[in-house]
Amino acid sequence: MKSSQLHHLKQSILQEQTRRHFIKGSFLGLGGLAMGAMLNGCKIKSDSGGESGSNAFELKPPHFNPRAKSVIYLHMAGAPSQLELFDYKPELIKMDGQLCPPSIIEGKKFAFIRGVPKMLGTTAKFKQHGQSGAWISNYLPHLQTIADELCIIKSVSTDQFNHAPAQLLMHTGSARLGRPSIGAWATYGLGSENQNLPGFVVLTSGGNNPDAGKSAWGSGFLPSVYQGVQCRSEGDPVLFLQDPHAVSRDLRHASIEAINHINQAEYAANQDPETQSRIQQYELAYRMQISVPEVMNINEEPKYIHDMYGTQPGKSSFANNALLARKLVENGVRYVQLFDWGWDTHGNVAEGSIDVGLVNKCREIDKATTALILDLKQRGLLEDTLVIWGGEFGRTPMSENRDGVQNAFKGRDHHAEAFTIFMAGGGIRKGYTYGETDEIGYSIVNGRVNPHDIQAIILNQLGFDHEKLTYEFQGRPFRLTDVEGKVIKELIS
Amino acid sequence: MFSSKKILSTVTILGILSVVGLVFYSFSLTTDKIDYNRDVKPIINKKCISCHGGVKKQGGFSFLFEEEAKAQLKSGAFAIIPFKPNQSEIITRITSADEDERMPYKHDALSKSEIKIFTDWIKQGAKWGIHWSYIPVKSPEIPAEKSPWINNDIDRYILKKLKSENVNTSDQASPPVLARRVALDIVGFQVKDQMISQFIADPSDKNYESLLDSLLSSEHYGEKWTSMWLDLARYADTKGYEKDDNRSIWRYKNWLIKAFNADRPYNQFLTEQLAGDLLPNATDDQYLATAFHRNTMTNDEGGTDNEEFRTAAVIDRVNTTWETLMGTTFACVQCHAHPYDPIKHDEYYKFLAFFNNTRDVDTPEEYPWLRHFKPEHKPKLDSLSSYLISKTTPSEVESIIRFIKSYAPSYFSMECDSLENSALVDTKWLAMRTPSSARLPHAGFNNFPKMIINFRAYSKTGTVHFRLDHKHGPEIATLSWNEPTNGWNKKELDIIPVQGRHDLHILFESNSITHPDHTGVMIDWMHFSNPFPDEKTKEGIKYKNDFWTLLNAPAEYTPIMYENPEYMARTTRVFERGNWLVKSDTVTANTPTVFLPMNKDQPKNRLGLSSWITSPDHPLTARVLVNRIWEQLWGTGLVETLEDFGSQGAAPQNQELLDYLAYSFVHNHQWSIKRLIKEIMMSAAYRQDSKLTPELKEKDVFNRFYARGPRVRLSAEQLRDQALAACDLIDSLYEGSPVMPYQPEGVWQSPYNGKKWRKSEGKNQYRRAVYTFWKRTSAFPSMTNFDATGREVCLSRRIRTNTPLQALTLLNDSTYIDLAGVLSSKCNEASPESAIACIYKNIAAKDIDELRLQILRKLYYESMSTYMIREGKIAEAKTNSLNLVTSAILNLDEVITKS
Repeated sequence: MKSSQLHHLKQSILQEQTRRHFIKGSFLGLGGLAMGAMLNGCKIKSDSGGESGSNAFELKPPHFNPRAKSVIYLHMAGAPSQLELFDYKPELIKMDGQLCPPSIIEGKKFAFIRGVPKMLGTTAKFKQHGQSGAWISNYLPHLQTIADELCIIKSVSTDQFNHAPAQLLMHTGSARLGRPSIGAWATYGLGSENQNLPGFVVLTSGGNNPDAGKSAWGSGFLPSVYQGVQCRSEGDPVLFLQDPHAVSRDLRHASIEAINHINQAEYAANQDPETQSRIQQYELAYRMQISVPEVMNINEEPKYIHDMYGTQPGKSSFANNALLARKLVENGVRYVQLFDWGWDTHGNVAEGSIDVGLVNKCREIDKATTALILDLKQRGLLEDTLVIWGGEFGRTPMSENRDGVQNAFKGRDHHAEAFTIFMAGGGIRKGYTYGETDEIGYSIVNGRVNPHDIQAIILNQLGFDHEKLTYEFQGRPFRLTDVEGKVIKELIS
Repeated sequence: MFSSKKILSTVTILGILSVVGLVFYSFSLTTDKIDYNRDVKPIINKKCISCHGGVKKQGGFSFLFEEEAKAQLKSGAFAIIPFKPNQSEIITRITSADEDERMPYKHDALSKSEIKIFTDWIKQGAKWGIHWSYIPVKSPEIPAEKSPWINNDIDRYILKKLKSENVNTSDQASPPVLARRVALDIVGFQVKDQMISQFIADPSDKNYESLLDSLLSSEHYGEKWTSMWLDLARYADTKGYEKDDNRSIWRYKNWLIKAFNADRPYNQFLTEQLAGDLLPNATDDQYLATAFHRNTMTNDEGGTDNEEFRTAAVIDRVNTTWETLMGTTFACVQCHAHPYDPIKHDEYYKFLAFFNNTRDVDTPEEYPWLRHFKPEHKPKLDSLSSYLISKTTPSEVESIIRFIKSYAPSYFSMECDSLENSALVDTKWLAMRTPSSARLPHAGFNNFPKMIINFRAYSKTGTVHFRLDHKHGPEIATLSWNEPTNGWNKKELDIIPVQGRHDLHILFESNSITHPDHTGVMIDWMHFSNPFPDEKTKEGIKYKNDFWTLLNAPAEYTPIMYENPEYMARTTRVFERGNWLVKSDTVTANTPTVFLPMNKDQPKNRLGLSSWITSPDHPLTARVLVNRIWEQLWGTGLVETLEDFGSQGAAPQNQELLDYLAYSFVHNHQWSIKRLIKEIMMSAAYRQDSKLTPELKEKDVFNRFYARGPRVRLSAEQLRDQALAACDLIDSLYEGSPVMPYQPEGVWQSPYNGKKWRKSEGKNQYRRAVYTFWKRTSAFPSMTNFDATGREVCLSRRIRTNTPLQALTLLNDSTYIDLAGVLSSKCNEASPESAIACIYKNIAAKDIDELRLQILRKLYYESMSTYMIREGKIAEAKTNSLNLVTSAILNLDEVITKS
């Protein structure tokens, strides 16, 4: 082998190693420049307490020993019907087509139902699955096979029956805009395991952002570094990540080196700590340019993984996002938030109906959700990763009669009083079903869980007392769970 | 950096400890005068108020109001008996040895010094104090400091502080640096004009002042300061919430730019925005100003309760008014008394009553409007006005003309209830099948004989009966048709005059509808009025024709505030624990009692409120504004918490200076913001070098004493504008509808909203940041990466961050790549070195030094060799290499920092 070839090979090996180091979160820097705390420089405290100077994403200990290191929250935006998927109601099936008893709807507010609607029994086929005997319908055949991994909560209720406010309540603890989301609180409280990747990543599928928009992953009054970074499966995975066409990696390296060289001279002259911090941010930006596309690239995954998830590289899909969620968690991302849009099944159009649209939506997510849990398990990640699946509210046991007219397809209106979510991993009790609704699935009979309780549980699994993780804003300490929230012990293993 | 911060904080803590120690020591010898605000209130806020304050009153005891704190307890004892600490229950409880008795309950006991403060305070009479920012600003005593360094009174305050802290001032910044600083601060970008070169050649005081004057008179000044106001006004070009559809409100932005440029006195500036519609003979421009409070969000999501979101908008107006104009966090009073500051629960709703009487109700059209007629319609409007003036009373003229321009006052069909076989379509408009009915509850009538209705008939024939008080009540008006309308249609009906409040029942029937599900008619709004003056005469017929032409003319519009007339007024009730569905006592408009009372001559409406807010004696308005301007120039306010001047906010760094500026602003500058800015900039303090010396790094790393000039990263807007200015691309339009500069694909994804980001063409691609289209749920990413927000709600202060996403934005955003190309091509010099020097000077506004030139030259040649090896085309390699160097310069700390 010629010496130049050898040199070339050595270079490639070195580059590859460097790349892997980036991915794994090592702090290997550029040509001997000052390295240190990453992502710092922001003045973390907003109020009178002055600035705390540490790295915003530095690892910080929680209040007590955590059961989970990471969270993957799968939000089905639009609100899936619990009555077609988990909450089996034979009585409701018997009542199908009858007028709704007035006692049920008296004094109640609905988004679209007017007058007296008809009861709507499901046509989904229900069976009990696993040793736990969990009820899961034939809409979710893959999920049926892992019933014993799940903790199904059938008694969630919210006080918001419109999408945007309900999603905000679910993810920020308030139906109004302006509060930090769970992921922002988690990274604010814990920092991030991997300084070369954002600590809080958001992935969306279904063609639209969730109704609540970016506020669902905003940082509210927390410093903006804690807001979720939306990664995309088409275009730049992170906005502005890709260098211009004409700029090679070498040239990007050279230009950042030049910028930082001059910035060091500027720092020497002016001694502004922000300048020093900026030097580090440019180094980190350079490393993110390698680590983010690497982690966001699913092409290299083996075929059996693609088969398992049903992924198709290059497309924007829930399956791709589920696989990405696993990769992100594997690489130390703290909080991964998925939103899949298109679950609003009023029955006014085919794609928004429980007999057509919901079946298709289930097909899009069933296999991948199941694969995600199994994949995390086979990698030993499930015990440290809390997976949550759910919507922002449920659907009514009555058929929707929008503006007083029967809809063309089968559909259900928004229902705030009772719906189902499930959790898995992260120290949550396996093969367990919690809570119960009445015989038509309208009201909760026992085990009421509200969004603040879910948030309290998430924080608890991450090692936080939800009442103590606070931030001073507008003269008072704010917390994710506002003045509510309880950790339901039965849900924890 | 952080070790130095830690050292600093340790030093501060030690300092505080030693002060506390000294205070305690001195107390044990003699008893100093205890000051409630300085000594007692901080302990209360920290240790007591969470159980004994606005939210909870354990044991029936609250520290919030003097009368509560000194009242008899449930137990019969008194917590505080002035002059008698031994008989005061709080002293017994904070010193108790019994764990169950001792306060703070289940927490660590108070320290000896804290107990002594309470004891001495009661011994001295337990004198209550008013929080510093609630005390009106007094005529200041200017410090007698003397020094050749001093340029104006601001310097005297700063020097006094520096002397007490034993810190030295810095030298004046170099002329190019200072020139860039003032330009960035006044107009928002570095300027290349003669005044600048004149000042750099001869940095005399006179030339400095001329430079300031010239920049302050530039119309770019208005654009720069409007950027600041847009965060406060929560301005956006979309409505927010789920659909986040577009809103046309940009003419309000134009109003701001013009008002800043005209240096509209701040009291007038606020009055027009809060109550322009209520001013006598209000002009269209004054109506336009009220769009300030129409920047609240509108919820177009189907199925939402309109009253809920109308209420949310009103609450937002209250909170925004307090936070942005008066630095008070008022939102918590929505549910209970203020937890820390003496504002009572019902006072929130009394204040809310000022804002609860406008006609807007969360309609998707965002009525009422100010309609902007096309030029061809203006003569018609003028001649109609003249006709009306000759025929009727001034107030009737105003009613007719204002109705043409606003469609107000009208009732909206979405205010209807008791829907039978009818519905609010998508919860927006009343739609009726046959036969059907609906009710407009509690409508206000005023003996008007006419009704103009905006409706849409779908059925071939049909009749709508308007009946009073009951479905079978007297029919007061009838609408019928013999063919469907072509879209929305306005029609005048006769109506039997009635007075007072009545339910108006709307009944529809048609025998031309074949399917029970078909909608026969939709109704939008109903307006009651007098007949058109002399409508039967030939002249009257002609002008009434013009009236209809104008009413139906297509016109753009801006949502504005429109006060309900007396007969349509809303009542305001307290919401129990902030829940809008649970209403209790009725309240009338008033201001909180802790502040100065409203002038008795003023009306209890938004106009009276504006006069209260802008009263020279108002303790907060001027302080908050001067603090905001100070923050814009220095990077941090004299009160760091711009949004909170209450007892939980940060204490002022230099209250004497703050009060001096506030007093001077009102009394000397007559509320002129330009004069205030000029005064600050004329100070020697502002002109100092911003370098951190080792001494300053140790004593004042955050520049709270102002011993050096400001050094702050540029705002999102300044960054864009600076790059445009370097390319000579700043235009002189000063106004215009929002533009869409380059934004990556796929950023906008709102559900049920087909709107797309369509890249603006030509010059509109290069407009200043202030003109960028602002979408709430998906704000412009290149700017949000630099701390701009979606502006869903007002933002008093952007917290500056320093992140890798900022580096990526400046390195890779196509905007900056594009501008780098423009800039490189402008410096078409013979040698790369002179090209680099030229580019650097264009961006950094100073000459390049040898070190920088060397580093950038090296980058240039590295790039040349890469491109030559890769492509072998010299011209292309040169262009690419110079572009890379320009992009690097745009990323330099010295370029993105105001120094």
